[in-house]
Amino acid sequence: MLGSVNFTPFELLNILAKGSKSTLYNIIVNLRIPRMIMALIIGASLSVSGTMFQAILKNPLADPYIIGVSAGAALGATIATVLSLNYTFILVFAFMGSIFTVTFVYLIFKGLKLSSTSLILSGIAVSFILTSSVLLIFSMSKSEDVHKAIMWLMGDLSIGRYNMLPQMGLLSIAVIIVSSIFHKHLDIISFGESFSKNSGISVNNIRNIFWLASLLSAISVSLSGVIGFVGLIMPHIIRSTFGPDHLKLIPLAAMGGGLFLLISDTIGRSIAPPFEIPVGIITGFLGGIFFLIYMIKQKNI
Amino acid sequence: MKIFDLQKITAGYGKHLIFQELDLSISEGDFISIIGPNGAGKSTLIKVLTGEIEPTEGDILFKNAPRNSYKKNELAREISIVHQFTENILPFRVYDFVKMGRFPHQKLWEIETARDTEIILNAVNITGISSLADRLLTELSGGELQLTHIAKALAQNKNIIILDEPVSHLDLKHSIEIMDILYNLNKEGATIITVLHDINIASAYCSRIIGIKKGDIFFDGSPEDVIKYDLIEDLFDIVCITRENPISGRPYIYPVPKHLQK
Repeated sequence: MLGSVNFTPFELLNILAKGSKSTLYNIIVNLRIPRMIMALIIGASLSVSGTMFQAILKNPLADPYIIGVSAGAALGATIATVLSLNYTFILVFAFMGSIFTVTFVYLIFKGLKLSSTSLILSGIAVSFILTSSVLLIFSMSKSEDVHKAIMWLMGDLSIGRYNMLPQMGLLSIAVIIVSSIFHKHLDIISFGESFSKNSGISVNNIRNIFWLASLLSAISVSLSGVIGFVGLIMPHIIRSTFGPDHLKLIPLAAMGGGLFLLISDTIGRSIAPPFEIPVGIITGFLGGIFFLIYMIKQKNI
Repeated sequence: MKIFDLQKITAGYGKHLIFQELDLSISEGDFISIIGPNGAGKSTLIKVLTGEIEPTEGDILFKNAPRNSYKKNELAREISIVHQFTENILPFRVYDFVKMGRFPHQKLWEIETARDTEIILNAVNITGISSLADRLLTELSGGELQLTHIAKALAQNKNIIILDEPVSHLDLKHSIEIMDILYNLNKEGATIITVLHDINIASAYCSRIIGIKKGDIFFDGSPEDVIKYDLIEDLFDIVCITRENPISGRPYIYPVPKHLQK
């Protein structure tokens, strides 16, 4: 239990045993534990979402934000911030923004007969339009609103974000469980379009997986802002260590992603007290370095 | 019974049409080889049969009902397809890959029933890859990989198998091994449709050879009827001679190189 306030496991038990009176008890039960749960859930969601996007898009560079979910969430959150709405509304707006984006990209995807290149390209195009809209709003807003929105976008797991944690957390766990039921589909889909068609995968199957992956991405981005790299590197590392079978891959990616984010957040909280470095910055650093070392070791992706 | 009935099919890639008003029917028990020059439309014909390309006009009947009236997994239970497999080889275990053939037969939550195991082992035995079952796909040679794909197709179903150039990049031993397997399956009642580049292999094994040139059926018949020097010369725009194989009685061709032509 590291952070700006440290205690050993023994002290921890002692504090918990004494009950709700002490400040430390409050720090642990109301701050640290929700934060750990949040790190585990967001990390797991991003990692599972990335695993599924990489399978349906047959693209090793696919990540949970590839279809513009983060840009949609950014626009939603920015609008809510400029309208001076409270945190719950910012979260709801961000979630709606990402779901609208996914729907829009999906309709293009469907129009172009579910080809993975078209999905990636339409995601990029939509992201550009949305990001420009965010910047347009910034250019016309008060600087404190801009700052607030930027802070929101920068991925972190701090206290202000916990108000919807129970609902979103349970939804996310449910989506991960449903996703793991599709493990056979994901195995077959990763062999490519014609192989999966002729093996009995329907358009509906692909659509369902697309929506599950997008939902996980939308939940995480609206809860915690944009936390990069977890959804890109965890699936790779798990896949190359444990093989391509999604029956194992999904639960392991969930665990790996959750632990990675928990560790990154713990580092972010304890490295320079009293400051807390947003976890998105830590995952960027750690993930980037880790990934480079890993690539050099593997000599390929 | 007619397995496939193509009626006045027009199909191609976007505006680039390969077939116009093509008629073709395929009966149960046929062992068909599609031959013809590169770009003639052989693979396109396979894609039209498998549904990878939807014709812009005309009807495709599968077992007397419009093919599109079948769901994807219903079709997959009846038709197995072996693609030209060059990309996307992932490090799955051979056994697990063959098991993917059972996917259209399984319920959502089923992983492997006793019946699945029996069928998978049978497919692995027919193709002679039992010793490879625990290896990874990425460790296999081209011939072993092709056998594994055929095993997956057999685990899916043994009635209708469509193969796109199953022996093109294989050595003679592996080519013959695969053609022997297909021949035996056909003798047990399977309908086999395959694209082949090697006319002599097609002639030695198939009961019906369809020659395709520029999106049209150039000839369609038994090897004895269609493997004639003048037809093959016209189909490929080459000079060749044909003779009869003394053992099988089937015709074979030998191309005459340009420097020997007078």
